[in-house]
Amino acid sequence: MSLRLNGTALQAAVFAALAWTMPAAAQQPAAPSAPDNEPLNVGQLFASTCGFCHSDGGRAAGKGPQLMDSPRDDDFLRNRIKNGKNGAMPAFGASFSDAQVHEIIKYIRALKPHQG
Amino acid sequence: MKKQPKHLATSVALAIGVTLAASSTFAQSVDTARIDGGGQNDWLTYHGSYKSYHFSPLAQINASNVANLSVAWIHIPGRSTRGLQSMPLVADGVLYYTGSYSRTFALNGATGEVIWSYFPELDEALIARQTHSPYNRGVAIGEGKVYVGTMDGRLIALDMKTGKVAWDTKLVDSQKLTVGFTGAPLYAKGTVVIGAQGGEWPGRGPIFGVDAATGKKKWEFLTVAGTDEAMKTWGNDSWRTGGGGGWMPGTYDSETNTILWGTANPAPLYDWSGADYKTQGARPGINLYTTSVIALDLDTGKLKSYYQELPHDAWDFDSAVGEFLMLERDGQKLVVHPNKSGFVFVYDRNLGLKNVWRLVENINFVKNIDPKTGELIGRRDFSAGKVESPPLCPYIGGGISWNGGSYNPKTGLYYKIGQEWCMTLEVQKTTPVVAPQVQLNIGADFKMAPPPGGEIYGHLDARDPVTGAKKWEVRFPEPPIASVLSTAGNLVFVPDARGVVHAYDAETGTELWNHNNGTGHQGGIVSYSVGGKQYVAMTAGFGGMLSDDYAANFGGVFKSMPRDDGALIVYSLK
Repeated sequence: MSLRLNGTALQAAVFAALAWTMPAAAQQPAAPSAPDNEPLNVGQLFASTCGFCHSDGGRAAGKGPQLMDSPRDDDFLRNRIKNGKNGAMPAFGASFSDAQVHEIIKYIRALKPHQG
Repeated sequence: MKKQPKHLATSVALAIGVTLAASSTFAQSVDTARIDGGGQNDWLTYHGSYKSYHFSPLAQINASNVANLSVAWIHIPGRSTRGLQSMPLVADGVLYYTGSYSRTFALNGATGEVIWSYFPELDEALIARQTHSPYNRGVAIGEGKVYVGTMDGRLIALDMKTGKVAWDTKLVDSQKLTVGFTGAPLYAKGTVVIGAQGGEWPGRGPIFGVDAATGKKKWEFLTVAGTDEAMKTWGNDSWRTGGGGGWMPGTYDSETNTILWGTANPAPLYDWSGADYKTQGARPGINLYTTSVIALDLDTGKLKSYYQELPHDAWDFDSAVGEFLMLERDGQKLVVHPNKSGFVFVYDRNLGLKNVWRLVENINFVKNIDPKTGELIGRRDFSAGKVESPPLCPYIGGGISWNGGSYNPKTGLYYKIGQEWCMTLEVQKTTPVVAPQVQLNIGADFKMAPPPGGEIYGHLDARDPVTGAKKWEVRFPEPPIASVLSTAGNLVFVPDARGVVHAYDAETGTELWNHNNGTGHQGGIVSYSVGGKQYVAMTAGFGGMLSDDYAANFGGVFKSMPRDDGALIVYSLK
């Protein structure tokens, strides 16, 4: 699901998705759709999801390791994002396409300390 | 198993042995009246009794002999991914507890021998996508059954004697909503009540009442906009992704047939509205019934009354965390409830506010909360951007967490852990993601920070529960995150984060005993008696989401501490 829509288009997209997902127990679950291939706002992804454990937008260790200047190679990061780590990190393979995972890795590689 | 005379066939002998053991052990059934009464030798519900004191009336172990405590037995549940968070229950000499993945055990309380075990088959592909998983904080017992929730959204009832499944009811579509049940259920008068997790998750945070005999769902209360009145407090249809939930057990008021429950925070946790939160931002309005205490009719789930501790909670300071102490003071019946922010709220039995007092020193998300009106004075509502100077206090881990405090009716004191830590953050506009499955919606990048001009620490306070007057305090270098136990033996037990369990004199706070359990604590502690002998049982095993912060921020022993191991450790006098 694209995170770069804004305004009414955004609301429409969210509510269209919600129309067949809410409320919880009363409805049949919809079959999970394939992940979007739309470009990802990875900064916003960190603020909504990844940053829960990867502190300061990935710049500091916290619940999870520091991602900025990570010594792990791309294969490791890709595998970790898609499959998670038991009891430590969720598996996001069903949430992101390969292209989106690639963008997340690019974002991680570009992380710098805060300016100023 | 005892040896039988050689002339009996082994299988017959074993059958006789098991039957004899069973009939002498399961003396009486556990019903609402027994749970209400508390029981001298038992621990019949998560918070000890419906009074929620986390207190044992046993005094065989006491301040004069606690130095002689030693390990009686240990049980290792296995597969303790993220450690152990469970509160054991004990009825008539049998201890019931859970490990990760809702692995459920019935043990002989005197010897630790396993009577039965049950490991539910969970949707492990779903578990792999969850964060607060595979947590389980314990069971409920009542009318011959043991009730346990699962992270894939089910409530299961097991026969108390055999562990066989009586029913298995799916309540939450966890595959879609990503959340399930982390907390223990509550049994009362033929109904089992359990609340889903959910504050960080764009759902509606249901609490369920289930028929204890049949497993049929009786009612469902949505903590997000569960009534027409509440719907109006969520602008722009933000109730659809509002968060909420009720992930720790509350209590039951038998006089009014009411369930008291704490609700979780709204999503996103951090809003960008600025001061105009009633009309701007991610979820304009006060967002009922999140971060509230609610009173529901036990049989119908209908809302009888509520009090919202933090209107438009913009800091993730759930009301879901806390126990409901049912006290009397000067002839008035009161309810004392800690909120995750570090404030403690005092109500009458209809949730009319009587007082608010501050457990924690480092609080700046508000200047204060008016003790008479509950008004939040000088609240810090953020716009998109950085929050650094001063940092936000307390930290997202709270001034108070879900570990239970203890009220001791003999000392009149409430023993409760306070947490002193803060955070820097950068608030961002986010969009709730609900397809293909629900994702977290936090709303900010953040990092733990020390309090302005000070150090991070935790403290065990002995306080008057109604006025907050402090009698004594013991400090810890890192906040202990396990529950606390006090007893009629004038003792307070605190299992700390480094792995040491301490016993303090309940009147003075003098440390009388400690022992290293080998790994950090984040679970429950109870006391019970079997065959005239008193035991103190606690789970050890670190690794939940809150404890995940400890290695990076505190170093030391936390760097080598396992996050996939744990044990139930039981002490007695020699």
